[in-house]
Formats: sequence, C-alpha cells, structure tokens
Amino acid sequence: MTPDSITPEMFAKLVTLAALELTPEESEYLRTELNHQLAAVKELSEIQLAEGVQPSLHGLDCQGSAPRPDMWLPFPNPAEILAQAPDSDGAYFRVPDFSRGEGES
Amino acid sequence: MNSIQLSARQIAQKVRAGELSALEVLEDHLRQIQAVDGVPGSLQDLSLDPSEESKVHAFLEVSAQLAQKQAEQVQARVQRGEDPGPLAGVPVSIKDIFCVQGTTTTAASRILYNFRPPYTATTVERLQKAGALIIGKTNLDEFTYGSSSESSAFQPHPNNPWNTQRVTGGSSGGSAASVAAREVPLSLGTDTGGSIRQPAAFCGVVGLKPTYGRTSRYGLIAFGSSLDCPGPLARDVPDAALMLQVLAGTDPKDSTSALAPVPDYLAALQEGVRGLRIGLSRDYDHISYPDTLTGEMSVQAIQPEMNSAVRDVAEALARLGAEIVEDVPMPNARHGIPAYFVISRVEAASNLHRFDGVKYGYRTSAPVRGLSELYRATRAEGFGLQPKLRILMGMYVSAAQHSAQYYQKALRVRSMIRSDFEQAFDPRGAYRLDALLTPTTPTTAFRRSEVLGDSVLMQYSDQMTVAGNHAGIPAVSIPAGLDPLGLPIGVQFFGMDFREDLILRAAYAYEQATQNAKWRGVIPQALRGSEVSA
Amino acid sequence: MKTYEIVIGLETHIQLNTASKIFCACKADSWGAEPNTNICPVCSGLPGVLPVLNAEAVRKGALLAAAMHAEINPVSYFDRKNYFYPDLPKGYQITQFDEPIGKGGYMDLEMPDGTIRRVRIHKLHLEEDAGKTKIELGERLVDFNRCGVALVEMVTEPDLRSGEEAAQYLTQLRQLLRWIGVSEADMERGHLRCDANVSIREAGSAVLNTKTEIKNVNSIDAVRQAISEEAKRQIEAVEAGQRIQSYTLDWDADTGTLRKMRSKESEADYRYFREPDLLPVVLSAEEIAQAQSSLPELPLARRARFIRDYQLSAYDADILTSERALSDYYEESVSLCGGAAKVVSNWMMNDLSRLMNETGKSAAELRLRPADLAEIIQLVEGGKISTATGKSLLAKVEAGGGKPAGIVEREGLGLIADEGALSSQIAAVLAESAAEVESFRAGKESLLGWFVGQVMRRTGGKADPKRTRELLLEQLKR
Repeated sequence: MTPDSITPEMFAKLVTLAALELTPEESEYLRTELNHQLAAVKELSEIQLAEGVQPSLHGLDCQGSAPRPDMWLPFPNPAEILAQAPDSDGAYFRVPDFSRGEGES
Repeated sequence: MNSIQLSARQIAQKVRAGELSALEVLEDHLRQIQAVDGVPGSLQDLSLDPSEESKVHAFLEVSAQLAQKQAEQVQARVQRGEDPGPLAGVPVSIKDIFCVQGTTTTAASRILYNFRPPYTATTVERLQKAGALIIGKTNLDEFTYGSSSESSAFQPHPNNPWNTQRVTGGSSGGSAASVAAREVPLSLGTDTGGSIRQPAAFCGVVGLKPTYGRTSRYGLIAFGSSLDCPGPLARDVPDAALMLQVLAGTDPKDSTSALAPVPDYLAALQEGVRGLRIGLSRDYDHISYPDTLTGEMSVQAIQPEMNSAVRDVAEALARLGAEIVEDVPMPNARHGIPAYFVISRVEAASNLHRFDGVKYGYRTSAPVRGLSELYRATRAEGFGLQPKLRILMGMYVSAAQHSAQYYQKALRVRSMIRSDFEQAFDPRGAYRLDALLTPTTPTTAFRRSEVLGDSVLMQYSDQMTVAGNHAGIPAVSIPAGLDPLGLPIGVQFFGMDFREDLILRAAYAYEQATQNAKWRGVIPQALRGSEVSA
Repeated sequence: MKTYEIVIGLETHIQLNTASKIFCACKADSWGAEPNTNICPVCSGLPGVLPVLNAEAVRKGALLAAAMHAEINPVSYFDRKNYFYPDLPKGYQITQFDEPIGKGGYMDLEMPDGTIRRVRIHKLHLEEDAGKTKIELGERLVDFNRCGVALVEMVTEPDLRSGEEAAQYLTQLRQLLRWIGVSEADMERGHLRCDANVSIREAGSAVLNTKTEIKNVNSIDAVRQAISEEAKRQIEAVEAGQRIQSYTLDWDADTGTLRKMRSKESEADYRYFREPDLLPVVLSAEEIAQAQSSLPELPLARRARFIRDYQLSAYDADILTSERALSDYYEESVSLCGGAAKVVSNWMMNDLSRLMNETGKSAAELRLRPADLAEIIQLVEGGKISTATGKSLLAKVEAGGGKPAGIVEREGLGLIADEGALSSQIAAVLAESAAEVESFRAGKESLLGWFVGQVMRRTGGKADPKRTRELLLEQLKR
C-alpha cells in the first residue's frame, strides 16, 4: 500500500464531513476504491512543472459576457420552487432543528 | 415510408416543405421506441421478462404529450406559411441531466426522483424554438458519473443496440443508444471527460463535444462545471452540424458561454479537406494505466483495430488531399486521467452539496433526531455508490491540507495538457495542425458488468477523450468501422478553440468517402427483424 | 492588578443597495415580503442553474474599497466556500477568498478627545448573503428571500482598543456607507452587521492572545456593551489564572449577556476553490480610476473644511456633516446667501433641523430647497420681513411650496416701514395709553419697549422695528 492511503479512521471522518453515512460493505468498497484512485493520482505529484506554469480554470481563456446590468426581474413562479420542498408549511421550507450535540458548523 | 429511416435534415426539409407531417414523424418514432426500447428504467427492483435483455432501454421517460404539442405547433406554423425552424418536426431525445419544464428531471439519481424543474435548459429551449420535438429523457450514469451508463439508479440501464450484452458507454449512453436504435435521429448529451464521444463510439454514432462555452450550460445539472459541455449525438456528420448550429451561441444565463461568432457549420462541410493538416500522435496509440495499489504506471496496448481504424481514416483523408502530419507529440496526454480524477471530483463534490433533502427531491423517511441526521440519511439513501465515491474523493483532494498537492497541482497539469494542443495547432509552430486524429476509446464496447465497480479502470476508458475537456477544445467522434465482433469503432478529431467547422469538415469528408463501405450497411442487432431491416 | 489592553478587530457585513441580487435578478431588498416569494431557481439553489454577476455590485464594492483607501484588485476572483447549513441552499457560498476586490486600506476615526485613531482594513470582498431561519415548535423554518443579496465583507486589523472605539468605528462606517451611497446601512434591517474579535493582553505587550468571536452585535450600543462585557470577562478569567478559550459567543441584546455558541478549537475546512461558473472580475485601469475619482469628498475632510472655511464650531461642523445631503444643503445655501456661513448655520442648526424633526424628512427629502432657505434668510437680513415671519415661512414653503417672496407678497407679510402707515398706528397706541405716555415723559424711558410691543400687536408683528422705534421717540419727545 502507498503511504498516502486512507485509513478507516480517516475515512470515517471524511464520511462525516461529506454528510454521508455508509453501511460496512459500502465503506469497505468505497475506501478501497478511494485508495485506488489516490494511487492513480499519485502520478501528479511526480510531474515536474516548468517554472511559471499557471493553474488553468477552464482550459481555454473564457471570453464571456460582461457582468449583467442591475435590473430587478422577478421570477414568475416562486411558488413552484417551494412546491418542490419535501416538507413545508406553505410559506417556509421546513427541516428539523439541530439536535443537542450536533455541531452547527 | 417510415420516417425513422430519414436523417434529421431530410425530416426537417420535408416537414418545412409540407411533404411530411411532424405528427406522422412523431408517431413513427414513438412506434420505434415502443418496438425496441422495452421497459423504462425504474427505482423499483423489477423482475424483468427475459425479452427485456435484448431491448435498448434508452429512455427514462417518453414525453409523448409534450412532443405532440410541439408537433402540432410545427404543423400550425407550416400551415400558416411560417418557417417552423431548422429542426422542424425532428424528434430529439434529451439526456436526463438537462432540466426541462414539464418533465421529471432525475439525473438518474434517486435523490432527484421526483424533481420537476420550473425552467428549461437553454440548449433544450433552442431546440424547441428550432421546431424540434422533445420526445423524452434518456438514461445515463447517475449524475453522469461513469462511462457505461450502468450506474443509473433507474434500472434496467441502457444496452448497446449493436449487442445488448454490451454497454452503451457513458455517461450519455441512453442518448447514444436512442440514436443508434433509430428511436430518434438526434440526441442532446453532455461531455465532461468523454461522455458524448465514448458512448457515440461504442454505439456507432457521431458525437460532438463543442468548445467549452460554445453551448450554454444553463439548465444542465452540473458535474464538473469547468469541463461540462452540452453537445449533439447524431447518425451522421451533417446532422450533428445541423444540431450544433441550433445549440451554439452565447447565453446571458451562463457567464462562461462564449461570445465568439457562430459560423455556418453545414456550409463549411462542403469545403472538403484538401490542404487541411491532420495530425497523428504516438501518444494516442496506447494508454498508460496505473497499478491500483502502487500507482505505478505501465504502458498498455489498446485494441489493435483502434489503431488500424485511425490509419485507415488518415489514408482516406490523404487521398482526398489532406496532409497527414505524423508523430505530433502530446506528452501530457497521459496525465489527463489523474488530473481529471482530481479536478472533476472537487467540482462534483461541491456541486452535490445542494442535494440535502431540504428544497427538492428525495428526503429520508427514516425518523431523524436532528438536521445533521436528516442530511446524512437523505444523502446516504439518495445517492448511489458513484456519487458517494466522487464526493469523498473530491473532499479529500480539496481539503486544506491536500489542496496544494492535488487540486492546485492538477490545475497546473491542466495548463500543460492545454499547451500540448496549443503547440500542435499553432499556425506558426512546427505542426500547424487543423485537427488531431486519434482513436476515441481504447477498446470497443465492453461487456455489461465487466468494468462496473472498478472505478479506476472505468475512468481510464476516457483516456483518449479527456484531454479535450481539460483543454476546452472541440472534438468529434465518428464511426470508422466494426471490430471482428461486429462492435463499432470510433475515431476522434480534436480541433482548435471554436473551430468545430474544421473537425466537422474532416469528419464529413471521411464519412462521404466511405459511404459505400460494407460495414456501413450492417444493422445493429437490436434493430434486426424490425422495420429497419425490412 | 495588572493593566490590560483590549485588542479588537471587527468583521462587518455590508448589504449593498443594489436593485437586484448579486447573482440573479431577484429584488435585493425583501423587507416586508412574505417568506420565499422573492426567490428564483438561482438563489434558491435549484440544480442546473448558474450565477450571473451584477455589475453594480462590483461598482459599489470598488467604490467602497476606494473610500477605505484600499488597493482595488484589477483581477479578483469568486470562490466557493463549502459547508452544509439550511440557510445556504447551494451548500456553498459564493464569496471571494484569496483574491478579493479590495486589499488593505484604512479608516481614520476621530476620537472624542480630538485624536485620530487609524484603523487598518485587512481586506474587503464581495459575497452573497444567506437566507434566514427561525425555530418554531422545535422545527427550523427556512426563508430564502435574503439568499443572494450582495454583501461586502470588510475585515479590520486588530486596531481598536475599546468598546467605545468599536462603536465609533461603526458609527463612522455607517455614515460613510450612506455618504458614498453604497448601502442604506440600516442596522435594524441588517444592512450593516458586525462580528467582533476580542482579546486582551498586558499593557505594553505586543503579543496577540487567544481571541473570542462575538456574533450578532447588530447595533452600535450592542457593540459597545458586548465588547466591554467580553473584555471584562476575559480579564477576570486571566486574573483568576484561567486560560482564554477560542469561543464563539452570541450577544443577546435583550438581556445584555453573552452566550457561548460553540468552541472553535478546530477551524472548519471550507475547501475553498475557484467558482468555475463565474469568470474573473476584471477592472480596467480606467474603471479603477473612475471608482477613485467618483468618490465624493469624505465626511472627515468636509468637516475639517467647514471648520476652516466657514469658521464653524466643531459641534456645528459635526452636525452639518453627519449626512452628505445635509452638508450639500448647507453649502448650497451658503453660496446662495452670498457666503453668510454663520447665519446659515444658525438657521440650519435650529430652525431647519426642527422642521426636519417635525416632518421626519431628511435634507434631501425636504420640499424647502436651499434656494428657498437662502431667500428667506435674505428677506430677514434685508429687513423685508421679521425673524418670526422668516421662521414661519420655512413651514409654509415646506407645506405648500411656492417661493418665499411670493408668499410674503401674497399674504402681506412684509414689514410696514411706510412713515404714514406707521405714524397712524403709533398715534393710535399713544392715544390709548395716556398714563404710560405720561410716565415716559416723566423719565421712565424703559417703557419704549412696551410701546414698540403695542405697535407690533396692532400690526400683527409686521411693523419695521427700527423705524417704529425712531418714530415713537419722535412722537413721545414732541
């Protein structure tokens, strides 16, 4: 195994940060795959880059429109957005509150 | 005459001329879907009739009513003597990653199983304005995360019409299959690492990934926002050019959409290839593949028919007057997949943050003690394995302590990949290419379940295509024969920024030159015995 | 007991007064709107949609950066700050991380003792606001109306030394924001929100100790009080031999107490990366120069000039520069009055300010324009009307419009200076007041004022007081 591989402890922390929860089978499979992927990207760290190579965000240099003018244009059917909510009281999206001990960050 | 035999150009021309009714066209294609598609993908575990094994299963939803309304509108325009548009009456399937008002838009994920977008993607809107009939939504890898379309939450997944025991490729597998199976002449797909071109190659159709920003991303549920490109799948090059003509153009709703003028792609096809410089690269006649445990890279040969197809195409183009430029170096091509593993995952993990059971889509029905549990349970039940894997990978490589090593490095490697192409296409450089010709895939369509689950091997099936996404340049995959098993082989032309016209010219010249080739007469397995062969 | 120095840095969120939100065309201001009615697919985080930057948010951000003497970044970037929270519909906030629109800069605070405290600015960046949540019956209700409103987050260096200084900073910032027109800066409506980082150190020490962060200090008084409370708590803790822990504290304005929200020992990792859906924000040299040159004279500079050029007292100059429109009003009036700076100042400090209080209008909203005020002052100063008439004219013009001279003419409010008219009034007064006339003539000359008053009463205050006095003396001494 490569030294970079993700231990079950690191993996569990990652799963929590990702707001996921996994069955033991899923965990085993995903952790294995994750380590395989990290092995595959190990190559990146070995690439010698010439001085001054800049990061590229879109590949090509995007030449898009200028920022839009400041105009208020109401969306015609905001009610359709709320209507998608799994739970609402007709005015607000509704979710359970944080339970005790749950972090807010 | 059954209109499923016609090209999109022929349909539009006949509908505009009043020789063919859009309603009739719709009926023909709905009948073909009925004949070859089988049951649509479902979240339920269905026990399927064995006959379903040989069906295509391209569609998740057939929007017959929506298409019917559009067909009526087209006919009304024809009757009023108005121009119903360049795609008048042409049925088009839409990869179910595009939001279309009036359809359920699932991204092939349980987490969006019931999402009804109150807006329509710009590309789809352009198709509708051009008179196209939106006939349905096609299946794909969940959130486009895959290269076989098997990872859809909605099963059965699409099968390859050429051999239904083989995958369609992906992630636009349903789109490619629907075109190959003559269920539609055109389909709208997306390409993030090869997701239009690879399934196009596997299914023996034409697939074009435009320049990044040439087609609007508005309404496309994002995978890798800096890589995603909507583009056409079609049965021949002029149809792809016609569809691109409709799709291309700037969109005020997409800040990254390009302002560059849109040329007349169909007219460009007529200019031929005489004098075009077409490059070949030894860096594309093999793949580099890592040992899954050590990461040690080894060079592996690709299926030999791939390389011979590239040579055949090059020779055909040379005979038509193109200049073939051998040995164009693409030294950074091999870094395409590692860089993609990082960049696409970072963007994907972030793009999936919004699926949390609060605003739309799936929410866990399990009792939860608080908000965090709601998030976790919803995402655990709503996402399949591939989204989960991409979230975890993306979060790992963008964590503050890893970002420099992985993410920031990958963005620089992306620049290097781009610079390979810039040098090859530089009009004052050593190669001065108009297009680079490569295989589209290392192999023809693989067997179902053969690669699924091996996320590294699956990703490497995009090794030939992914550099185009990193560089942002256009690329088109076209059919170039069949392998000994009768499976389609695809070759690909990469081009310069916004020069889709040049690669389409090269592709069209080859297509025309091989119009009478024996392999072009072979009918996909799923269609044998249907009206097509009759 | 040792002496301690309190070290304070402020993080302010400033809501820009654009018409639309920063990345979509929804209305920026949702005040009074029903929940989830001012939303669209972009600001409520529906899948597939994309942000489009509002040019005015950039312009106002650059203007604010210029006002803070910050370096305006010619190329700034938007980044994603990733975290889960129900008021954040995309699961990430679009903000600026390492290349913000403004870097560095400062604001000079004039302290009550006349000294200047320079508060350095660390950076200013553009970002989108989050929604609002509230708890009802154990459930959290979410409203996305505020999502996507354009904010500038501005962070100071730890240069403030007391709750009072922090309050002064906010007061002056609020004035500046309104002055340059980038924000309504109404703290009650959340246009200006503040978090305070507080630590203490022994006087003379240069180290920065562990700090706590106080959230939700959303009024000037709250800032003053919360910081003082927290500093006191920290000093007591250190004196008792405890270690200060890196808490986040919530200020409860109702009870005037601090409540611990969470421990901040492990800083969250937001996994910032460039927002691929937006292009870099590019400001040309001309645009940057434009932001700098379009900046009006700032309050402190104007105040100093008022004291110097108009010989105003510091107090008057303070009041007259509290708002840009008011100070513009003053200068215009002075200029139309031919430079009678002190007289105009008196009118504005007393009578105009009373009128503004009574009508609830700002200087900019008054119907009575500087030209009207100048005309009234000139009528009074020229002896055309009495001071009392002048004062009543302010309200008349404000209520009914019209030019002051016209009202004087129409309503016959001008002073009676005509000798014949005055003499007959005086004769009548003297005829009615035989006893007083006798007393006067017997030497009680202080009665002159009383006679003037009588004439005023008969003429409804319109008798020219100077002429009346002269004529009275003539007739009484006859």
